[in-house]
Amino acid sequence: MPLIKHTAAASVPPALALVPDQQCDTALLDAPDAAVRRAAAHALGDCPDAVPSLLRALEQEVEQPVRSAVLAALGRTGSEEAAAGLAACLRSEDAWLRNAAIEVLRGLPAQVATVIAHLLVDWDRDVRILAVGILDTLRHDCVEEWLLQLIEADPDVNVCGAALDVLAEVATGTARAPVERLLERFRGEPYIAFAGELVLGRLARSR
Amino acid sequence: MTESAISDDDFQRFREYFYRRSGIQFEPSKRYFVDKRLVERIRATGSTGFRDYFAMLRFQASGVEWQALVNEMTVNETYFMREDYQFECLVQSILPELAARKRRGDPLRIWVMPSSSGEEAYTIAIYLLERWPQLADFDVEIVSSDIDTRILAHAQAGLYSQRAIQQLPAAWLQKYFKREDGGWRICQMLRDAVAFTRVNLNDAREVEAYRGFDVVFCRNLLIYFDDASRRQAAESFFDVLRPGGFICLGHSESMSRISSLFRVRKFPQAIVYQKPLEGQ
Repeated sequence: MPLIKHTAAASVPPALALVPDQQCDTALLDAPDAAVRRAAAHALGDCPDAVPSLLRALEQEVEQPVRSAVLAALGRTGSEEAAAGLAACLRSEDAWLRNAAIEVLRGLPAQVATVIAHLLVDWDRDVRILAVGILDTLRHDCVEEWLLQLIEADPDVNVCGAALDVLAEVATGTARAPVERLLERFRGEPYIAFAGELVLGRLARSR
Repeated sequence: MTESAISDDDFQRFREYFYRRSGIQFEPSKRYFVDKRLVERIRATGSTGFRDYFAMLRFQASGVEWQALVNEMTVNETYFMREDYQFECLVQSILPELAARKRRGDPLRIWVMPSSSGEEAYTIAIYLLERWPQLADFDVEIVSSDIDTRILAHAQAGLYSQRAIQQLPAAWLQKYFKREDGGWRICQMLRDAVAFTRVNLNDAREVEAYRGFDVVFCRNLLIYFDDASRRQAAESFFDVLRPGGFICLGHSESMSRISSLFRVRKFPQAIVYQKPLEGQ
């Protein structure tokens, strides 16, 4: 006699119909039940028109599973509007939201291209450092170019240090002169010297 | 002409990148293994050398080459008792904790995703029979799913090569398998104990049919996904599990790097992830 009772094949339950036939109902983002809000957020990932509602929900929602679903939905819309809204999250006081926004933006290379220039010259150096964090694993041909523009101009040693960390992986021969100028500009800064020499050393060895 | 030698610096740069993206660490002793596969991919993609290939790998928007490389760099195989410390964790720590929250006779549901050819789901069934005395008190369901219908047919047939069963204790092999032409056939009782279903984890609509599970085994699948797909999978698993349910990933995978939806649980046998109980 089997010890494991076999009821599974017939018991895979039908889909939960939390948001039946209301796939783009943004009002459900305000439902009292968090499970309904979460299901609604997931469904709205297929509705580009819902981006403003999703961004509003991201600001107001307090339940973590719902916030997570809202972020995933924003990423799935793949819209520039969503990217701009997520970029604004880099100013948030909420560390989870900042990091989660960065993660989602890393998956939206074309859309990031429309907002990154502003982020990299933001008045707030913390925002600039976080913007470099987006570039860390962004799949976009212009990553090196953006980083080189940054290290040529940015006055902050920590921002430039973060950029060098990414350049250590992505730099090509084009980076040599800008990195040398950065080393000169921040002469006496030990981390810049270390990270800059690492980049230049790698470039020299890969010639 | 293709320049295919991988320098020490190339290897170091590649292994840092690969670790950061996949969680898989290649020790220097794996240098030959890594170099050989990198050179193969450099040639296959028509790249002019490591730098050219690495730039393409890093910036290719589709991520197709990343997936191809991961497929080459990981050993895509399964067998009975693979990473058996997690099955020990299941019967010694996870199930007793779940059982303490359930009433006698309640269903206890386990989802194996991806099923592949069924070795993992059947190993779980054997572990429950052999190593979990409370089994008699619960109605356990094991569902094993995969996107590939051919591999599911293989799993249902339950016929395995010598290589697939070589880690099984002899007593279990004798008890649950029969020697046949072409390999070892798992017994009908175990084949009946596992439900094999087709599902695409990346299709949220399909996954909506899977709810109320207590444990999910999703081992060595997420390493094949890009970051966005991993996050989507984590969202799906959250909804698949009951509050307090557990998810077991492969040894090189970490839910903490994908999503903050789950709590890390460190048991003596393994680290697994748990959907918080309601109110936590």
